[in-house]
Amino acid sequence: MTTSDKPAQTTDLPSMSPTEPGAQTMTLSVGPQHSGSGHMRLIVELDGDIIINAMPDPGYVHRGIEKIIELRNIIRSIPVIERPSIIDASNLNHAWVRAIEELQGVETPARGQYLRCLLNEMNRIMSHLYWLSIYGVFLGHTTMFMWPLGDRELFIDLAERLTGARITYSYLVPGGVRRDLPAGFAEEAVKRTEYFEKRLDEYENIFFKNPLFTSRAKGVGILSSERAIALGSTGPTLRGSGVDRDLRKDEPYAAYGELDFKVRTRPDGDSYSRAMVHMDEMRESSQLIRQILEKLPSGPVRRKAPIVVPRGEAYGRVESARGECSFYMIGEGGDKPYRARFITGSYRNMAAISEVLKGVRLADMPTSWWSIDYWPVEADR
Amino acid sequence: MSLSQEREESLVKTLKENFPADIKDATVVRRSRIDVTVAPDRMVEIATFFRDKLGFDHPSGVSAVDYNREARFEIVYHLSSIRNVGQRDIIVNLKESVPRNSPRATSLVKIWPGVENYERESLEMFGIQFDGHPRPEKLFLNDNWDGPPPMRKEIRFPTD
Repeated sequence: MTTSDKPAQTTDLPSMSPTEPGAQTMTLSVGPQHSGSGHMRLIVELDGDIIINAMPDPGYVHRGIEKIIELRNIIRSIPVIERPSIIDASNLNHAWVRAIEELQGVETPARGQYLRCLLNEMNRIMSHLYWLSIYGVFLGHTTMFMWPLGDRELFIDLAERLTGARITYSYLVPGGVRRDLPAGFAEEAVKRTEYFEKRLDEYENIFFKNPLFTSRAKGVGILSSERAIALGSTGPTLRGSGVDRDLRKDEPYAAYGELDFKVRTRPDGDSYSRAMVHMDEMRESSQLIRQILEKLPSGPVRRKAPIVVPRGEAYGRVESARGECSFYMIGEGGDKPYRARFITGSYRNMAAISEVLKGVRLADMPTSWWSIDYWPVEADR
Repeated sequence: MSLSQEREESLVKTLKENFPADIKDATVVRRSRIDVTVAPDRMVEIATFFRDKLGFDHPSGVSAVDYNREARFEIVYHLSSIRNVGQRDIIVNLKESVPRNSPRATSLVKIWPGVENYERESLEMFGIQFDGHPRPEKLFLNDNWDGPPPMRKEIRFPTD
């Protein structure tokens, strides 16, 4: 629309000339050309190879989603709000319908709630696997890139059977879910999750117990629990600092109150802890999938809900793969929200990036900052 | 889960007792959701009270809302608690209104370091100035963007 004649990149990088008197630090621009970070930039200030300051520069994939969803009705917005994190679409979708249902006062039937949890947990595994594969690349471990992406197909296929789509489902709607479980789904899901858990053992042996990984992750990139809380960190990043915060337990929504699972934490706040929380959570989610299918009640999956955002305010939030995802929704009685504020896990964890990278060696930067599982598209929205 | 709202109501009561003149409005919207509206000049004091006395140590986000028909912006701090395990499900929406023609508020970064990015976003998207903000720069928008703050209500899409 309106931009001035200045060049697009104006953040001044100081001169790195070695002849300059007093110049002791170097400023390095990492990204935004998808340097393994996704489309965002980190401005890193180095003293030798020690990072003394790292500043995230997001916005390269900002799509103005908060504006777009002010202009569409709540059903047409569902595919839009899934876009920031297509690998975790169901959880984002869930936060959206929770905000709407809170305003409408619509209760979803029990079977619908269970099916929501089913897709959420499948998505959590898919998202963590995607994270893990990129983590493998960052560490130069090609096997750990191939395996998780391959095993992710186990769940993508399942999701396709359930919803008709592989990645972006738009499966959750106000009042329930779009369709019921197809025949033979449960047997197939049990088989696949059991196989998957065996694969996780292999992951541990080849990667998580590998000195190539542990020597670069243990004790590196520290985020203390006090700082994690003060910075508003969430999800695996917060739990990796030893805080047992999980909305599925603390505000048991959908069917989570009736399901048996542990909140997995690790005490040390280093890259290793954050990585292992992802690993532990995949195991929990895998057993949760079987548990959901076992406990699945009968009955309808959807109740009729109007395409209306009643007057009032709601705060709908869920524990997505990367942490709390929330919608602060203000309704005026029309078919679209007056305002729908969209805050995602990655956006919240952005504040932790500088903290984690301070004092880390440049060579350990990928290990440290990718352990936060910061997804630029999800942060920018 | 019980349906009683005792915890929420006692929170509101404590707040009204401690700041009888400065709380414009404090209501329990529904279970786990509390709205508190305060005068902008008393925001820092009340926010500190929320953090230190009521245990709301975990900032969950900041929203700005453009009420253009009422010529004001509302800034909403979404607060939650980690320290008080019994109120981890509660979200407090701590609100203040600033006039639309001179939108200025006091930054709360000193109280909750985690709100820094959200305040920066409110600055670029709505044009609200935060006094005392350590880094009042653009966050998502291009540095060379000199158009109007794009999230304001009067800004429409060309295709609209």
